[in-house]
Amino acid sequence: MKISQRRIRGLVAIASTVSIITGSLIAAGPAQAATKDLNIGLTLDIDKLDPQGATSFATVRALGLVYGSLVEVGPKLDIRPGLARSWGFNAEGTQLRLHLRPNVKFQDGSTFDGADVKASLDRILDPANKAAARANILTIKTITVDGLDVTLDLTIPNVAILAALDGVNMSMLSSDDIKAGNIGKTVNGTGPFKYVSWEPGQSVKLAANATYWGKKPKLDTVTFRVIPTEASILSALNAGTIQFSVITSPLVAKQAGSNLKVYKTPGLAYVTLQLNAKVAPFDKLGVRLAIQCAVSRAEVVKTASSNEGKVIGPITSPAYASDPKARPCPNVDLAKAKQYLTDAGYPNGLTIKTMVAPTQFATASGTAQSLKSQLAKAGITLEIDAVDDSTFVTRWLAGNFGSSVANNGGRIDPDTMYTRYFTSTGNLNKVAGYSSATLDANFTKGKSSGRVADRKAAYTAISKELEDNAVWIWLFAPYEYRIAAKSVTGFIPLATGSLLELRKADMS
Amino acid sequence: MNFRKVLKFPGVSRTLSVLTTLFGISVFVFLVLRVIPGDSITGAFGIETGALTPQQIAELRVYYGIDKSLFMQYISWMQSFLSGKFGFAYSTGVSVSTLTKSSLPVTIELAIIGTVLGVILGIAIGMFSAKKPGSTRDFAGQLFGLLALAIPGFVLSTGIVTIMANKFHYFPNGYEYMTPWENPWMNFQQMMFPGLVLGIAVAAPVMRTTRSALLETVDKDFVRTAHGKGVPNNKVQFRHILRNSLIPIVTMTGIQFGYLLGGAVIVEKIFALPGMGRQILDAIMKREYATVQSSIMIFAIMFVLINVATDIVYRKIDPRILK
Repeated sequence: MKISQRRIRGLVAIASTVSIITGSLIAAGPAQAATKDLNIGLTLDIDKLDPQGATSFATVRALGLVYGSLVEVGPKLDIRPGLARSWGFNAEGTQLRLHLRPNVKFQDGSTFDGADVKASLDRILDPANKAAARANILTIKTITVDGLDVTLDLTIPNVAILAALDGVNMSMLSSDDIKAGNIGKTVNGTGPFKYVSWEPGQSVKLAANATYWGKKPKLDTVTFRVIPTEASILSALNAGTIQFSVITSPLVAKQAGSNLKVYKTPGLAYVTLQLNAKVAPFDKLGVRLAIQCAVSRAEVVKTASSNEGKVIGPITSPAYASDPKARPCPNVDLAKAKQYLTDAGYPNGLTIKTMVAPTQFATASGTAQSLKSQLAKAGITLEIDAVDDSTFVTRWLAGNFGSSVANNGGRIDPDTMYTRYFTSTGNLNKVAGYSSATLDANFTKGKSSGRVADRKAAYTAISKELEDNAVWIWLFAPYEYRIAAKSVTGFIPLATGSLLELRKADMS
Repeated sequence: MNFRKVLKFPGVSRTLSVLTTLFGISVFVFLVLRVIPGDSITGAFGIETGALTPQQIAELRVYYGIDKSLFMQYISWMQSFLSGKFGFAYSTGVSVSTLTKSSLPVTIELAIIGTVLGVILGIAIGMFSAKKPGSTRDFAGQLFGLLALAIPGFVLSTGIVTIMANKFHYFPNGYEYMTPWENPWMNFQQMMFPGLVLGIAVAAPVMRTTRSALLETVDKDFVRTAHGKGVPNNKVQFRHILRNSLIPIVTMTGIQFGYLLGGAVIVEKIFALPGMGRQILDAIMKREYATVQSSIMIFAIMFVLINVATDIVYRKIDPRILK
């Protein structure tokens, strides 16, 4: 084909224009300001400004920097002073005395004191306010205030309540704001950063709180920016347009460039195959044990989570963690699994269904697929029932499932982690599908003793009962990834998922 | 004057058909949202709904307006929609109209950029292909059309984002979104690649339509006459052949523009653009009924308006249609 000179000139002109535009775009990418403004990428926007009612991760993380709680959980999951500088229980564990930090100011300049604690706790306990942590502190009978001293009288011995005082859902609010009905409309906390603005669907801006009771934050501003996919968040980190993010997908985290720092911490949350013992065929212990013996947790971690995660037992709270080797069939035993099935009346195997919400967590579909292939070897056909998040929650809460792949949140204390699931009066017992008198007794024992050894014995017994009865098939604890630009220094990741330690972070 | 005569007035029948379609869409969307499991309470509270007492759930049903009968819920939403507020978006604490004021321009801008790029690319490649049917250039043009149709938008978007960010450290969409009035240069950078992805999706059908229409027109008598009269080739190509092939191209462009409004959902998500697609997707996840219903109604109205605009363009292109 003969190409005329005119055409060649035309093609050269087009190619030059395209390369000049592309080159100038790349070269003249928006300049990064040399200020201490930290931009954090999150996949979801916040959904409310009331910290005590916050349930989404985005809201919890953003408001966690603005509000403070009476105690805090440290990097080693130890309970540390927060707005309360010290505390003590009476010998029976029925009374908790808290001594508050003096000279703490709310961001509107008013002083924090015992009246604010009482008003905040009363607000959480009032059912009308739909506070997320209400169930954890229902044992509070009376709250007495004397200046900076607050006394909580409890209906039963409950030393576990101390750990329940941590977190965004236990935020201390101004009693004046509560009285004026301002909660959720204005933002006025005691945290290291103060609220500046919220552009729905786009960003939340915070600025350093100059009157913070601790060391003044080194960052000038923190902006939570909504970037709806984790892959795009990683791209923004690689491009330097944001400097920090929380990632849940191990596959995405593994692709972080050499210009980034990855903080990898085993979380308290856990992935489990929930079996509903009130629904056939899971009402038969043999079926549940067969599944227990047919599943290699290590294989699930390897195939579904890119080998990122820790095999766990029921309790992930570090001080009381279950030993995964103590369960029946710590390793896969297909012969035993088949024997359990035969004894349960299924000599030719059976078909079961599991509910999964693929968008609920990064490894949901992979976990279900791994379980499907492993169970097939024991003669169990697993049908995957994929649903959207809201459908999952609705059916899950109603106990309308045989089994489900879930990623449940963990707590630093097993009491707040499992009481609501596995005690006969727990509000999520319908979801758990199992309770017993011995579990009820052991939860009461664990809650009421101030001695660590006694508590450990109680929670070991709980763990053993849950595993021996294959109530659920506990699989693994996924890692939590915080990815930061190398210019971000001084950040300490917390296993609770909180970003509170950004108060110590700096940017070089 | 009887009803049949009224229907014969210009535009009356069309208006009635449009209103019936919109009413049908509003009822369909309203009912579908109620049929799927979950509601505004589970959407907002997630698994913590399990910690709510029956009294709290009853109060929340009143708060979200889902305690009323389906008929009353529909009437209440329709009243709000017709008043221009479009309902209330509970998770953001503002009306749906406030949300839409900022998200709709983003999606319209994206759809316009995608359509313009798609039409330019599609017509150019279609003409390039049709000039010598069966030749290498025709094969190349058709291959482009096939690839553009086959590669899903999310793959192309992810590929562009990953390559630009990892190789060139360029991802302007990581910055706060800027409107063309706030920062035109930044807006151009944030819209360029998503617009290109949508443009490629539009270009494929436009290219194929252009090619077939041109091949059909090129053998017509008036084209031979023009060539015989010694009209320059370029003039024949554009004034005679292309102009007389525009009807199917305009039809295809109109349809594609409508689809782009919906198709922008994934592109907006990957490029972090705060448009209507993302607004609908988030609202579906949270079961924010008013936001989903009103946003879809706005899309439906726009689709109808685009069809009307397409009809007007037809008449401009081919005045014979007026008769």
